[in-house]
Amino acid sequence: MFIRDLSSISPQYTYNNKIFENEIKFYSGNRYLAIEPDYKNMIPLSLLRRMGKAVRMGIGAGLPLIKKHPGLGGIIIGTANGGLEDCIKFLNQIISYNEGSLTPTNFVQSTPNSVAGHLALMSNNTKYNTTHVHKGLAFESSLLDAKLLFEQDEVKSLLVGNVEEISDYNYNIDYLAGLFKEKEVDSKSLLNSNTKGTVCGEGSAMFVLESSPANSLAEIKDIDQICFPTESEIIEKTKHFLDRNNLTESDIDALVLGLNGDNRTGFWYNNLNKKLFKNHGVFTFKNLIGEYTTASAFAIWLSAHIIQGYKIPEEAVYKKPQSEINNILIYNHYEGSQHGFILMCKS
Amino acid sequence: MSDKVFVTGIGIISAIGNNTGEVFNSLNLSATGIGFTSYLNTIHRNEIPVAGVKASNEELLEIVTPCDNLAYTRTALLGMIAAKEAVISSGIKDISEKRTGLVSATSVGGMDKSEYFFSKFIKDNKAGKLKDIITHDCGDSTEKIADYLGVKDYITTISTACSSSANSIMFGARLIKNGILDRVIAGGTDSLTKFTLNGFNTLMILDKTGCKPFDNNRNGLTLGEGAGFLVLESERAANSSNKEILCELKGYDNSCDAYHQTASSPEGYGAYLAMKGAIGMSRLSTDEIDYINAHGTGTVNNDLSEGKAIEKIFGNKIPKLSSTKSFTGHTLGAAGGIEAVLSVLSIKDQTIFPNLNFTQQMKELSFSPVTNLIKDIEVKNVLSNSFGFGGNNTTLVFSRV
Repeated sequence: MFIRDLSSISPQYTYNNKIFENEIKFYSGNRYLAIEPDYKNMIPLSLLRRMGKAVRMGIGAGLPLIKKHPGLGGIIIGTANGGLEDCIKFLNQIISYNEGSLTPTNFVQSTPNSVAGHLALMSNNTKYNTTHVHKGLAFESSLLDAKLLFEQDEVKSLLVGNVEEISDYNYNIDYLAGLFKEKEVDSKSLLNSNTKGTVCGEGSAMFVLESSPANSLAEIKDIDQICFPTESEIIEKTKHFLDRNNLTESDIDALVLGLNGDNRTGFWYNNLNKKLFKNHGVFTFKNLIGEYTTASAFAIWLSAHIIQGYKIPEEAVYKKPQSEINNILIYNHYEGSQHGFILMCKS
Repeated sequence: MSDKVFVTGIGIISAIGNNTGEVFNSLNLSATGIGFTSYLNTIHRNEIPVAGVKASNEELLEIVTPCDNLAYTRTALLGMIAAKEAVISSGIKDISEKRTGLVSATSVGGMDKSEYFFSKFIKDNKAGKLKDIITHDCGDSTEKIADYLGVKDYITTISTACSSSANSIMFGARLIKNGILDRVIAGGTDSLTKFTLNGFNTLMILDKTGCKPFDNNRNGLTLGEGAGFLVLESERAANSSNKEILCELKGYDNSCDAYHQTASSPEGYGAYLAMKGAIGMSRLSTDEIDYINAHGTGTVNNDLSEGKAIEKIFGNKIPKLSSTKSFTGHTLGAAGGIEAVLSVLSIKDQTIFPNLNFTQQMKELSFSPVTNLIKDIEVKNVLSNSFGFGGNNTTLVFSRV
């Protein structure tokens, strides 16, 4: 399947592509908050006021694409948590008012399918509409769903994307669970911090995918995933993944890795890099946008720009590639539990 | 690649029974699961009826007897029980013998534990046990089920509100059709929570006298809980093991109403598209559909729009129809799975289940649901509807082989 168009709201200047003009936002601390666009030309103010962040970021990234590419064959969103802030707000109401007089807005927006539903509603799209929510693989599942639709169901175009938000409560809980850095680390030194924990990010990347390569920016050739693997299973899976696409390690020009500065789980990336792709160029992205369950969507956004020859900020270049980049392997995992592979190619 | 997808196993737990046998008995006795007793600790417990599973978390834990000390949400426990029953009923001995996936669905995931955690955490952010909150996300119950069954090849979770598990069954079938997997355990699970009970209560769509689907005086839905799973297999996988094939999943369609975030369009456009698409895919004519297991929540809005869409598809030849939510309540993310199991049972036992609590036909509609159990009737093709918030509408068509 081929990327025809794309958009990203992230903790970097991606919405306007300024990131490729050396405008980089550096962070210190654990929260990399999305730089949100001005929504008022896209979303009526009365609606916007009541919208949670996840919903408005999803609409901000997705709706302009839908409007620009009418007649899409469906909308598929990957989000592990959806509108978590709304969910917690409603829980808060239940507890604070002891199940007394509550308002439904937060409840309605808390369902994970709220973003896909809103996008369909605002663009009057009555086609296939679904939401994948499986932890660190919610976006990979969405891509597989899209791939099946193109292969089986004669769908020609789809909107596929992710959304994830930082909410206070979730941040605090994940912090207690040991997900994030205890000592403040700035984004420049995140990847070399060599301490446990990472930083928290958020955002939404949306893609218009088509079955035809005409006018496309890049190809998403294949997706695979594995849960709770052993180290050797990762190596086998990678080889098998390349093999089924008639590629070998040497056909890959660069890796995009989900390195996030957590010294407990970095070995997954380093092992794969050392064992199969020793001399390959490597790009990273979580030192720009933080860690979250569907961050691989941002990796695709970045890879599509790498393939198109955009000037990639040096913060994203972990090891400079030696050749022109036609084929990229994205490897990403979430807390070492869910691992995803995405193969991107020049179209 | 497989042209056909067969159902070879079913598993269910709901307010009317902890397994397929018990559920079937309750259906035959017209014994509803709706009432004022449940394990949910809410101030509404004597005022709003629900359809709770008749077992405490401790009793559910005894059924599954996990060998670890992890936190199990009620959602996970219900899912584990139903999915395991489906695997056993399919005669699967070695789960890793074929490429096997689990596609589960849920609307609020581990909310039952989260809300317990938050009641402490909100007052004091050092209180509450972390163990009770790390199970919050929708994927947690799926991982627990996968671990319990030993499924490794593919695991995922779908959440599209009340059509969630119809979509997981559809996605499972597509994974098989595309040759990615040989068999998929597909369905969904949801437990009763204060979150959903209060959520639907704020929308003022809970009937304080119990749901009355398709009745002129219906006044809302009744929340339920449970889980329902099917074992789906490719033609080759099903035939290679010489097992009983319960039926074929012949058609499916997912369409979006794109009308309102929580309400369906008055003429049921999304419902119409989903039914039309699924029937079209099954290559059946509308008069070959013998029974419709309707979404039939009992809300003023749903039953009108679903009814109008059914009239638009079937004209004056409306098939026999009922909403089994009058037995099980509306189990949200599990509803599509639970009703898929009941649709398979209808074909397997050539029985049509009644729509309870019905007295008066809706003035806007030309038809009434079936109100008495019908035995010894030919049921070849059953259509099952699941519609949800966000306009997510999915229809499945099951056919006798």
